[in-house]
Amino acid sequence: MRVDALAVRLRPRSYVEAADLGVRLCQHVARSVYASYLAVALPVFVLCLATFEVASWLPTFAMWMAKPWLDRTILFALSRAAFGQSTTVADVWNAQREVWWSQLIRSWTQRRLSPWRCLTAPVYQLEGLRGEPQRRRVQQVRSGKTGAGILVTSAFGLVELALVFSLLALCVWFAPEGMRPSLDVIFGAEGGGEWRFVMALAYAMTVALVEPFYVAAGFGLYLNRRVELEAWDIEQEFRRAQPE
Amino acid sequence: MSQDALDTVVHAETPEGIAIELKAAGVSSRVFAYLLDFLIRMGVLYVAALITAVMGGLGTALMLILWFALEWFYPVAFELSRWGATPGKRTLGIKVVMDNGLPITPAASITRNLLRTADLLPALYGFGLLSMLLRRDFKRLGDVAANTLVVYQPKAAPKVTMEDVAPLAPVRPLPQAEQVAVIALAARASRLTASRLDELAGLAAWVSGDDGRSGPAVTRRVLGVAQWLLGKRA
Repeated sequence: MRVDALAVRLRPRSYVEAADLGVRLCQHVARSVYASYLAVALPVFVLCLATFEVASWLPTFAMWMAKPWLDRTILFALSRAAFGQSTTVADVWNAQREVWWSQLIRSWTQRRLSPWRCLTAPVYQLEGLRGEPQRRRVQQVRSGKTGAGILVTSAFGLVELALVFSLLALCVWFAPEGMRPSLDVIFGAEGGGEWRFVMALAYAMTVALVEPFYVAAGFGLYLNRRVELEAWDIEQEFRRAQPE
Repeated sequence: MSQDALDTVVHAETPEGIAIELKAAGVSSRVFAYLLDFLIRMGVLYVAALITAVMGGLGTALMLILWFALEWFYPVAFELSRWGATPGKRTLGIKVVMDNGLPITPAASITRNLLRTADLLPALYGFGLLSMLLRRDFKRLGDVAANTLVVYQPKAAPKVTMEDVAPLAPVRPLPQAEQVAVIALAARASRLTASRLDELAGLAAWVSGDDGRSGPAVTRRVLGVAQWLLGKRA
């Protein structure tokens, strides 16, 4: 890995600032990231929404469960973008063994429940370690920074919540006269089946928009961790300066 | 360091023509700053409600006035204080400044806080959050209107202790960026593992004339160059 090829400016940052750097990276390479992410996420979301026929709560739950697995595609595109490479759907397809099918079970179980998964996901996916060394490395990256991972996860959780309710509010406001539901209909136990579906749809749209920013914020935390642990910023400077 | 490398800083220029970098604060810190302020306001209202509860209709009126005042003037009052930040923002280490880095003016503070009405639409600050996610300088709509920016407070640099090694002149004059990197290596030497320190010093070995070599001895010579750059002479 050539640290000097990194397209982001490394310097020691506070962890919230590092998360912001991730957001900035995601804005900068949005085209690559969203192209590869939506190509995977939209079919998954359609499948999830189809489970509405089984139970009205199932689509939201299924999409929530799928997130760590979907994150892998985003992280693949982001990690390439950090080195100035763009990513197309074909690139993701060619790397599908590594991106989609490796660590499949853990993505859907243990990591789904981890509140600091944004910080540790890059270690699992990008460092290529296995077994004991991987466990020790995750421990090292996490030490003292678990709180930062949880903070970023909850911040973006709140952003999602706000945007879901924003979309619902827009739907209610722009509903034709006479079709405007009361709050009981939307959140109540009975009736309002179509509003349950609108809610699931709003969640899908929010996840489609926000998830890349969340993963990128975690990636920012991870890069900052490497600056702290391995002085990547100094290596970046030395390699650029080397007379060749 | 190349100027076009991706960073969150906003470049500004002071009236004297000095270029400065402002570190814009994004959504992760601002969400929690808002939540803290919200909890503080709720706490004050709760205590006030306990007191005004015994006052009947007058109490209700006072309560409504207090609620109005807190909602609209709590951020303004704190942003115009000498901290330039509400208690929530201070906790997260951020503050509000003008686009050019100057302290926020009363008019700008009132504008950005009145415009919260736009940011909080359609629900739970949806537009404000969207704007923070999509804009490079992480401004919400109120910031755009008032030409303000939320930035990280510059923090005092942590105290560093450097190993005492004999100063050594570099083989040739170093550009500023490399001087900074060599000194940064010396400052952070104690926090790196020994093998990683040797590896990094090996990359910079040419400054002490040890091209292509590495190891503890070379590391000491590179750290010696850092001492020389800091002005120490044998």
